[in-house]
Amino acid sequence: MDTRKDQGQEFAHSAMLPSSTGLEPDLAGMDTAVGIPMPEGGQQKKPASPLQDSLRRLRRDKRAMFSLGVIGFFVLLAIVGPLIYQHIGGPYTSNINGVTYGPQDYHNYYHEELDRLHELPNSQYWLGTDEIGRDILARLMQGILISLAVALVVELVDIVLGITVGVLAGFYGGWIDQLLARFTDLMFAFPGLLFVILLTGIFGTAADDTFSHIPVIGANGNARLLLVSLALAFTAWPLMARYVRGQTMQIKEQQFIEAARTSGTSNTRIILRHIIPNLFSIVVVAATLDISATIVGEAGISLLGLGVQAPGSSIGLMIADASQFVSVHPWEVMVPSVTLALIVLAFSFFGDGLRDAFDPRSKD
Amino acid sequence: MVQFLVKRFIGLLFVVIGVTFITFVMGYFAPGDPIYGMLGLHFTRAAYNSLRHAYGLDLPFWQQYLNYLHNLFTFNFGLSYEFKNQAVWDILSRGVPVSLELGLWALLLQLLIGIPLGILSALKANTWVDTVNMGVMLVLYAIPVFVLAVFVQVLIVWLDQTTGIGWPAANWGAPWQYSWSDIQFKLAPILVYAATGVAYFARLSRTTMLEVLRQDYVRTARAKGMRERVVIYRHALRNAMIPLVTVIGVTIGFLVTGAFFIENIFNIPGIANITLSSITYRDYPVIQATVVLLATAVVLGNLLSDLLYTVVDPRIKVE
Repeated sequence: MDTRKDQGQEFAHSAMLPSSTGLEPDLAGMDTAVGIPMPEGGQQKKPASPLQDSLRRLRRDKRAMFSLGVIGFFVLLAIVGPLIYQHIGGPYTSNINGVTYGPQDYHNYYHEELDRLHELPNSQYWLGTDEIGRDILARLMQGILISLAVALVVELVDIVLGITVGVLAGFYGGWIDQLLARFTDLMFAFPGLLFVILLTGIFGTAADDTFSHIPVIGANGNARLLLVSLALAFTAWPLMARYVRGQTMQIKEQQFIEAARTSGTSNTRIILRHIIPNLFSIVVVAATLDISATIVGEAGISLLGLGVQAPGSSIGLMIADASQFVSVHPWEVMVPSVTLALIVLAFSFFGDGLRDAFDPRSKD
Repeated sequence: MVQFLVKRFIGLLFVVIGVTFITFVMGYFAPGDPIYGMLGLHFTRAAYNSLRHAYGLDLPFWQQYLNYLHNLFTFNFGLSYEFKNQAVWDILSRGVPVSLELGLWALLLQLLIGIPLGILSALKANTWVDTVNMGVMLVLYAIPVFVLAVFVQVLIVWLDQTTGIGWPAANWGAPWQYSWSDIQFKLAPILVYAATGVAYFARLSRTTMLEVLRQDYVRTARAKGMRERVVIYRHALRNAMIPLVTVIGVTIGFLVTGAFFIENIFNIPGIANITLSSITYRDYPVIQATVVLLATAVVLGNLLSDLLYTVVDPRIKVE
């Protein structure tokens, strides 16, 4: 479940190694900046930058590229899918209340058609309907969107917090480093998801009640979702900070930092211009690898009934609803489960590919 | 060694205290007044005050926390808010044996299945056996435990309907009883529960075994003309065990979070299910107690790792 710790184990050694990629500061760019005249005609190729090198390696990794394709498919499905799906299909007159609905209604993730329960895929409902006659495909697309949105928020917070604390701890050391070390120890010894369950379980309803009047953030149960995201981010950032700290300590010893210092550059400027840009690869890799854990976390919390609530949709909520009918309608539980498995596998394979591409030595 | 253990022990004690503090603060600031909930609609001020006093909720913050800590150390988890006159421990004691049984079996299976699979892969490195095995383990590791549980349930239902063997897809047998029907109930949840750990141990033991097999002393042993069995089981395997022992604590962490999903999906009346229903009732004393218990299990797992580490790696004694 808690894949973060394992990544800590597996990824740590590569994080501690001097990365062959991130450390050299744009040497190719510096040549031209200093103004060495390029030979006329410019036939010589510029040497590939470390980033280009890594991307080339990544493009050759078939599994990672395929995973990227799968990720792209699901992102498109979640964002564009509903827009198209809600314009496909003719009018439908409900047998329950005699009202005629268009596809923008019955292909909506919360519309209930109470005489069309537990249907298998058909021309009106492409993936069938659930136990109260809601369109499974529409709910699935909304669920994926929620997963991706949560992943986005979590990784943003994770990256900002992780870089801030990690760089300060790695660069200055001292009490902030001590505090980070103690805190990460605590977080590694304590299962993160338990904390998320506790926090969302106790404060979920209150968050909804308190913030429901705020548009967007509070509407439609988004306050609870934000709480879930922040809780997940809170369990994720210590690992990120630890990687960043290790990398910062390594960069700090490099000669170009010494050169910058000799020429009178301030600490702030060194951090902003020389250290943070060189953290790019490690942060991207760690964040990508963390996405699967985050998506599983949100789905799990919703599955336990603590995340997204009823009219809303989440992959975990769909699994929870459908698992009550597993013996009679296995199709309904398989759709969200297989989707979640595919998304999670795609993100972990792509993350692995990224790691191998950015740090070839980490491969065993 | 003593110094190492004492240091680790203090660190872990710090974790437990941190956990109790976090859970206490959450319970303290939790929305809603439990006393109102207990009294219903009609009550007098005096009844309210006396009940509040009985639960110790009229004390200042720090005193409540100290009482709470003191009670924890004497294994007194207080009274439930939801079930009147019931001690928290009475509620938990129904679930603890179930969860403990589930967890211990899963832990055992992780080691007994995962490590041999990893060793097998290492010995057959880069053959189809290795590729298939590691492919399965990679998927097993990445897939969330609740998705795996759903797949297994669907499989059971399908097998049940095609063969009519009457295999249950959910629920739990009598604790620590192993009649045929108990085994039917328990087999699937335990296997699913163990799956993540199996994959974790398989992958890790393959890596460490490969590393050990590259070492000079293995080459020396082979050069001396020792039988391959002896080389592998005496020389390589023992050394490959060292890093494996240290991650037992990590896998107990998997088990603790996995419990929530396994018990939820297979409808097992364990401690995680009690926690979840207490969350619906807002029965904070029960929630606090389960979280502290689960966190303690993780911490004890880490301590166990440390202890085993000093056993398998004698070098630690010198330091």
